[in-house]
Amino acid sequence: MIPSSRLLFLPLAAIAVCAPAQATVYLSVDEAQKLMFGEQALMPLPVVLTPEQTAAIEQDAGTKVYPGSLRAWKAADGYFFVDAVIGKHDLITYAVALGADGKVRQLEILEYREAYGSEVRNPRWRAQFNGKQHGDSVRIGDGIQNISGATLSSEHITDGIRRLLATYAIAIAQPPAQR
Amino acid sequence: MKIQSKSGRNQSGVKLLIAAAVLSASATAAADPAANSAAVEQQLEQKVDEMSQQLQELKAQLEQLKAQNQALSQQQQQTQQVVQQQAAQQQAQPPPQAQTASVRGSSLFDNLSLWGYGEVYYTRPIHEPNRTEADLARAVFGIGYTFDDRTSFNSEYEVEHAVSSASDVGEFEVEQFYVDHQLTDWATVRGGLFLMPFGLLNEHHEPTNFYGVQRNFVETLIIPSTWREGGFNFHGNTDIGIGWNVGLTTGQDLSKWNYAPEFPQYITALDMEDNDVAPLQASHQELALANASHLAEYAALSYTGVPGLNVGAAAFTGNAEKVAAPPNAPINGDQRITLWETHARWTPGKFDLSALYAHGSITNLAVANASNPGSPNPIPSAFYGYYAQGAYTVWQNNTYRISPFVRWEKYSMGSRYEGSPGPILPQGFVPVSANPGDYGYWPVNHDRVWTYGANFYVTPHVVLKADYQSFQQNSNFSRFDLGLGLGF
Repeated sequence: MIPSSRLLFLPLAAIAVCAPAQATVYLSVDEAQKLMFGEQALMPLPVVLTPEQTAAIEQDAGTKVYPGSLRAWKAADGYFFVDAVIGKHDLITYAVALGADGKVRQLEILEYREAYGSEVRNPRWRAQFNGKQHGDSVRIGDGIQNISGATLSSEHITDGIRRLLATYAIAIAQPPAQR
Repeated sequence: MKIQSKSGRNQSGVKLLIAAAVLSASATAAADPAANSAAVEQQLEQKVDEMSQQLQELKAQLEQLKAQNQALSQQQQQTQQVVQQQAAQQQAQPPPQAQTASVRGSSLFDNLSLWGYGEVYYTRPIHEPNRTEADLARAVFGIGYTFDDRTSFNSEYEVEHAVSSASDVGEFEVEQFYVDHQLTDWATVRGGLFLMPFGLLNEHHEPTNFYGVQRNFVETLIIPSTWREGGFNFHGNTDIGIGWNVGLTTGQDLSKWNYAPEFPQYITALDMEDNDVAPLQASHQELALANASHLAEYAALSYTGVPGLNVGAAAFTGNAEKVAAPPNAPINGDQRITLWETHARWTPGKFDLSALYAHGSITNLAVANASNPGSPNPIPSAFYGYYAQGAYTVWQNNTYRISPFVRWEKYSMGSRYEGSPGPILPQGFVPVSANPGDYGYWPVNHDRVWTYGANFYVTPHVVLKADYQSFQQNSNFSRFDLGLGLGF
């Protein structure tokens, strides 16, 4: 029997409408940098943490630090960071702009690969981080609202931002004495 | 230092040379003292002048060399510094491969992801403690594979009740098995066996995602969980927070409906959840040689544009494989199953509030039900349920979190019957299983339940749970539960 389903037309319509495009990669690092800092050239800022700094950041943020994960650049008017966290079982890559005052200016999701939870791309959810700085409450349910249906992704990105702000405060804003 | 000592040696050598020259000149002069003395003196003076001039030139050249040497050594030092700086920078920056998550290597494992979840229950009916049970309710392992930036595969395999064999109660199931291919930022096509986007729980059924030891009854009996169908769908979400999902799937099969159970199909609340007794639980096919002569269609919409808010609705409809026709009474027309639901969840700060309503219907049952008179289990024409739930995080420290909750729910697995007055249940204290002496009351298929409990998160991935459930109709179902759940 031939299924008399009107919805059969929907897939066909969708195929016709959707031109293939790069999708799980929403923004490249370069695109995010241009979006956040315009055309200015950024200086790579090596983030080399001493064991003491790593311990201090982990203590402060309550999350683990993975060496080499965080990449940083210095701009004339702030800092540009690219970092990654595990969502449920795959990596979410994101970019963060900090102002010269150490406050979050913008968060952009660069890559999201999992089947569920990509709602963290929602601009209003991301905007919750704007203005947050080290010392502010940056936790799900305490300063940041979660996304039901993307619980782990929203929780882990929040943890990542808290770790980034701690790293900035401990290792970048107060650089170690010159050796 | 080196340069100075060298030039010193050179200078002393030059002095010796001059002295020797002067001596030899004076010796020549002595040979012819009278006539040539004046001329010789002049020659000598001239030579000394020449030599001292040469000496000056040499001195100047040496000074030049000295300066050049110093400059070179400075340059060398600077180069060394630059090399050291560069080395430090290279150390600080991981190699390019480690930098981007998108770079996938050639190894199989680079594209593979593994995950899992599971839950263990202890459930004690307080009025019938002899029916207390402990169960490794489910152990699930997931395998995913990323083919390229836009194409991935996900699957989940589940063992229910720990041991699966012909003589045991357990089951081994493929819970999900699908391929996603992303078309644009907001649209993905999915094909295979996948979870239906209904309610708050079905797609997010890991124990860390819900309150209470067991899943709520509405999203177990009215929306069957874990509800999956084979087929394909298109889904996605937009920047403003609208999620959408439309699909064409396998439908339900009513042909194996059990009209004449000898004993109640469930005598505890846990049985009721586990034994596939509710209308959609009893008729869904889970892509196990599913009858696919009728297909079903569904559509779901959700909105998560406001942080902390999730509202949504979904509807499913499709013709079922019909109930076996009674002799001499053909069933004309189709039997269509429709299910719709709407839900909302709001998580302001430490609160977690949710509510859901679900309603199902099955058409054209008059002949089928009428030909099974007196059945304790006719097929319902309508069934529904709803709940409201509130949780509050009272304490949080590091990864620890305690969230007590309360839930009120109402479910009816049969609120309307065609061709039947409804289930005809044996009254009183009756045998409820094949075990001799096992007596009880035949339970009714609708109830109102209060649940009070708490989730204690050890980490966001590991949760300990406790709750008490009070049933108003089947009061023998009232129970105390403990649970351990995890997901990674």
